[in-house]
Amino acid sequence: MNALFNKLTLFIAIATLLTGCEDEPYQVPEAPGGLQNDVIKRSIGPNMVGEFIEFAYAMANKDVQLAEATVEASIPGAEGTWLEHRSYHTDGGGNDIGIPIGSPAVTTGNQTTVSFSTDTNAATLRYYYRVPEAARGQTVSFTFRATDRSGRTVSYDAGPYHVSRMDMALDLVVSDTESYISIEDMAIYSAEEAAAVPDKIDLVYLYRTIPNIAFGHAIVSPASDETYRPDVALPAGVNRSTKVQKAWNIRDRQLARLQFGVFVDDVDFQTLDLSNAPNYAVNLREEAGLWVETQDGRYRAYIFLNKLDNSVGNATISIKRYVL
Amino acid sequence: MKTLLIERLRKYASTLCLAVLSIAVTVSCSDYPIDEDGLLITSRADCYVSNFELLGTDYQTVRTRNPVIDTVACTIEVEVFFGTDLKNLYPQFSLVTDAKLEPKITGFVDFSDLNNPKSWTVVSGNRKVRKTYTVHVSVQQP
Repeated sequence: MNALFNKLTLFIAIATLLTGCEDEPYQVPEAPGGLQNDVIKRSIGPNMVGEFIEFAYAMANKDVQLAEATVEASIPGAEGTWLEHRSYHTDGGGNDIGIPIGSPAVTTGNQTTVSFSTDTNAATLRYYYRVPEAARGQTVSFTFRATDRSGRTVSYDAGPYHVSRMDMALDLVVSDTESYISIEDMAIYSAEEAAAVPDKIDLVYLYRTIPNIAFGHAIVSPASDETYRPDVALPAGVNRSTKVQKAWNIRDRQLARLQFGVFVDDVDFQTLDLSNAPNYAVNLREEAGLWVETQDGRYRAYIFLNKLDNSVGNATISIKRYVL
Repeated sequence: MKTLLIERLRKYASTLCLAVLSIAVTVSCSDYPIDEDGLLITSRADCYVSNFELLGTDYQTVRTRNPVIDTVACTIEVEVFFGTDLKNLYPQFSLVTDAKLEPKITGFVDFSDLNNPKSWTVVSGNRKVRKTYTVHVSVQQP
């Protein structure tokens, strides 16, 4: 009796398994009829003045060919805003292959338009919006619109997107001769140039090898103790005391251009508290950073150390700055 | 009749045993001694610092070498890099099992007054042994 029961149980289990594993027939999804469109935002991180916000705009109509694609921004884009007139696909090697579908885009006011000149039923065009100064601290929205040859139109609203109040300067090289850093100007000056604008000099870069201590690369305030800026002869009037705090593992993607998905944004500067910070930082390391606040309290900044070169004693830095 | 009675007694006895066991478990669980921080008070009397770390504002070590921990004199000597921001250092103590530290470290600590070193008290697992460790910070000099 027991044996019979076991066999029956096994049979039912196998039957259940076989039934459960049966493939349901796959059906290729039916494409919806008429003119369709969709948008994805390709760029990530804070939207900054002077930088691009990038979108991919896809449109298709399986019955009627496309006639025109237009993007309308709520704030007109800066010089360089454009809509691709090539439709991209990715080949087997992972390369983007662009196929021209019309003449280059025409921008009038806040509208950028591409007219299709080839018979195209489906295309994905990329849109690059260079953020204008007028958008600083504002929000910007976009309306993507496609028209087919029968005159039908479809549109997609994207945004609103917040535009950061930050500024950015990349790959500034500081050395023994070009060592004076101005946060206000986001620029590097020599001693002679610094003497002409002493009230704009916030920091001094130096590289020293001193026996028994780890000094190396340093960024210090002109007003810092002389032990932290050995053999630096400051130009007359260069005497600001800027607060500096070391940071590590903040490899901002826009400053570092590395693979890390870390972004310094407006909120970081808004909540930054450097009230107890010193006015110097020595023994700096590559890919580290410095939070900075100027003496007048007008600017906060993040300085990323892209590259430190011990052989020639210079450094490549990139700066994000926030005006309070 | 006698068999039935025995069966019933057996049934009641097992139920009663289960109830007693449950009560015993419940009561014994609520009797573990817990201190004001919600930590278990154990029987361990060991009371010492096994390791010490000092981090800067970038949460990287500022030590130039391993700290010297004297568990008899209850001192910790640590040398930091030249230029270390002594006002914003984050001390981290590793303690023997079940011990705890007083006062608690909740953020950056100001070590800039080198003549008045900071102190923390290690309390043993049984909360009966207390040892106060003094942290002496020195700065690497050229």
